[in-house]
Amino acid sequence: MGETSKGISVGGVGERVYVRVVGRGTFQNSQPLRKFALEKIDQGREEFIVDLGQCQGMDSTFLGVLAGIGLRLRQTGRVATVHVVNISSHNLDLLQTLGLDRLFIINSDTLSLPAESDCRALADTDLTHAAHALDKDETTDLMIEAHDNLVQADERNASRFKELARFLRDAVERRHKRAGGSE
Amino acid sequence: MKDFRIDREPRGSVQLIRLGGSLDMYSFPRLEALLNTIFQEKQYYIVLDCRDLDYIGSAGLGALIGFAKQAREHNGDVRLLNVPDRIYKIIELLGFTKVLQVHNTEEDAVASFQPR
Repeated sequence: MGETSKGISVGGVGERVYVRVVGRGTFQNSQPLRKFALEKIDQGREEFIVDLGQCQGMDSTFLGVLAGIGLRLRQTGRVATVHVVNISSHNLDLLQTLGLDRLFIINSDTLSLPAESDCRALADTDLTHAAHALDKDETTDLMIEAHDNLVQADERNASRFKELARFLRDAVERRHKRAGGSE
Repeated sequence: MKDFRIDREPRGSVQLIRLGGSLDMYSFPRLEALLNTIFQEKQYYIVLDCRDLDYIGSAGLGALIGFAKQAREHNGDVRLLNVPDRIYKIIELLGFTKVLQVHNTEEDAVASFQPR
């Protein structure tokens, strides 16, 4: 059996959107997932299955993007759900620490998952290559949004990520000043 | 995934901390606890040797800035040593290298705290 390539792959199970994470989910491969998920939500998809069976770990930005999917689905006013399946105790601990277990349905074992051959790799999500595709400003904005999502999901996250949030907002302020100065 | 490792090796007044494996939200509390202990001992010259680190998360980097600020309030600092290229590219991209000093040799890192 060939080794599953690292990164994020996506597919569909009926009307459900399937997302599988192999390796790490980090700020380096979060943007393609965010764009893909928002596109699907805009198309009216209401149910996501996030398969973390081969996910070695997630950073706060990635978790914030997952939270953003859950929050956006809630905003649609429809009956919308994010299922997280095959999660390890390590990753479950991360979700619980950040209060995200309340936003998702964890380990729904009755869901059918698509075959690997029915999924496609999401571009720029293999971390071996993703770093080269990153744009600084886009990444900073993504990290701010993701951590805002975490705070929206659980207010306790505000103090947890305050230093990072301050650093990122300072970076945006410097960017705006630079942009203002160059006009 | 490699287990997180952390070892403290004082070099005079400088506290050298060797890190290995993955520094993520799961492992960061161990570093946080050690840094708090060191600060309680009123030691504020900190060097984090990242040679054997294979991963550092965004929240961990943010928290390090917070510790660096605390150390600077006591005329100290938190500085990085031997940051692997793969990690350096990321922290440079995000601008962390503007607020966290990075050194390539232990001698330079330790000497950076000595009065000139």
